[in-house]
Amino acid sequence: MNPTYQPKSWLAQQANRFAPGLFFIGLVAIWELICRFGNVPNYILPSPSAIFTAFFDVEFSRWLTHLWATLRVALMGFALSIIIAIPLSIGMMRSELMNRVLYPALIVIQSTPVVAVAPLIIVLLGTDDPSRVLITCLITFFPLVVSTTTGMLETPPEMIELSQSLRAPRYRETWQIRIPYAIPHIFSGLRVSITLAIIGAVVAEFVAAEEGLGYFIQFSTSFFKIPQAFAGLIFLSVISLLLFKSIQWIQAWWFPWSLPKKK
Amino acid sequence: MDNNTKAAYVSMKSVGHKYDPRPETPMVVQDIDLDIHRHEFVAVVGPSGCGKSTLLRMVAGLLIPSHGEVSVFNRPVTEPRDDVGIVFQKANLLPWLTVRKNVLFPLKHKYGSYSASDEKRANELLEMAGLTQFADKMPDELSGGMQQRVGIVRALLLNPDILLMDEPFSALDALTREQIGFDLLDIWKKNPKTVLFITHSISEAVLLSDRILVMSKRPGTVLDLIEVDLPRPRSSKTINSPRFAELTDLIRGYIYEPNVPA
Repeated sequence: MNPTYQPKSWLAQQANRFAPGLFFIGLVAIWELICRFGNVPNYILPSPSAIFTAFFDVEFSRWLTHLWATLRVALMGFALSIIIAIPLSIGMMRSELMNRVLYPALIVIQSTPVVAVAPLIIVLLGTDDPSRVLITCLITFFPLVVSTTTGMLETPPEMIELSQSLRAPRYRETWQIRIPYAIPHIFSGLRVSITLAIIGAVVAEFVAAEEGLGYFIQFSTSFFKIPQAFAGLIFLSVISLLLFKSIQWIQAWWFPWSLPKKK
Repeated sequence: MDNNTKAAYVSMKSVGHKYDPRPETPMVVQDIDLDIHRHEFVAVVGPSGCGKSTLLRMVAGLLIPSHGEVSVFNRPVTEPRDDVGIVFQKANLLPWLTVRKNVLFPLKHKYGSYSASDEKRANELLEMAGLTQFADKMPDELSGGMQQRVGIVRALLLNPDILLMDEPFSALDALTREQIGFDLLDIWKKNPKTVLFITHSISEAVLLSDRILVMSKRPGTVLDLIEVDLPRPRSSKTINSPRFAELTDLIRGYIYEPNVPA
């Protein structure tokens, strides 16, 4: 049975509120202590303070250049995969033939590790943005196809019957019923894809690039500037997190009805 | 053509259906004969899975029966008709549209747009159903009963002559259910329609309808067609009348002992 409701004390409330932050700070503190008193050299595991200093060893404009390079590739690849995945899903939902032809091809593409294909793509398309964008797109588009298709196919039969009873044209059934119904699914796909987009961009930079955070991390590591590499990694996590959050903000702003109901 | 109220408006002639054409597969419904008069309120009751909803889909033109023929106004139903409105189970509203836009959806969906006068009609219908203050809310902000009212209003938008209702109140609690039933009768009185009302509630069928088609379990056949001679307007007092009890008992007998004729 439910315990009797008791209002939490002020202290318990505050503890509850700051617990995640405190946990994080605690972890960083332990890390710092291990590095300091365990005599771990900086080129094996840099201490948080060393990483912090490393931020300032690199000029701010250089950080911006690398950041922008990665962000640009990730966003272009992500946009390209939206442009491809959503029409493709609609096509596969509408046409049985298209579904039968494309589905196996998609599975093959998805089961091939993109990391392994990346060098080949660079050979094919050169070392500029297009090849990196394509690599990113290859990594990001599958979750989008799956989520969009699932959403459209899960449209309740009664909604489809409503459309049929009105003898509406099929494109309106797709546009006014199936696609809006798929919005929550599409957004879960977008949330997965946006973090994959950063991974895609970094993988591409590992293979061939002159700028970008992935390139910067690889470059710093090869010169044993491990604290700098960690600083780059933190930048990557932060933009990844911000992009993930932006997808949630976009959903909350434009499609508030599609969010799960709060109790 | 005869257009008076006693002519068969919706007519089913030895209608049967199976989803799979192979001979060994069983029929879902079988040998259904029913004539519904114009502006008559006919309820269909029967155990779960007896093909009540299949029957409704045939009249809606969403399903063409494999046996027999359904016709409306002497014309066989071969596709969905413009003069039919459907009220679905669990309201079936689109959660991304406001209540008003849900009501206007049939026009938007069928023709691509609607006019200011359509919007006016939608507002009038919403007012009739007591929903004016909810017009700009999203469906999930409404209670189940309110949602189903919106479902009814939406079905009325194109001013259909036939209203098909597929267990429309089954998701509602008992009190709401009774109230919305009376509201439906009120709406039906103001806008006379030919109603086919599918339900698994015996008392609801007796309370609302002019005639009740009682169906057997699968394959669904007609067990009886009962004339509900309770006076209108019906109210909560109707429920207490002895005749109401007699009729519900009669139907209950069919449902629980399907082989014993009354």
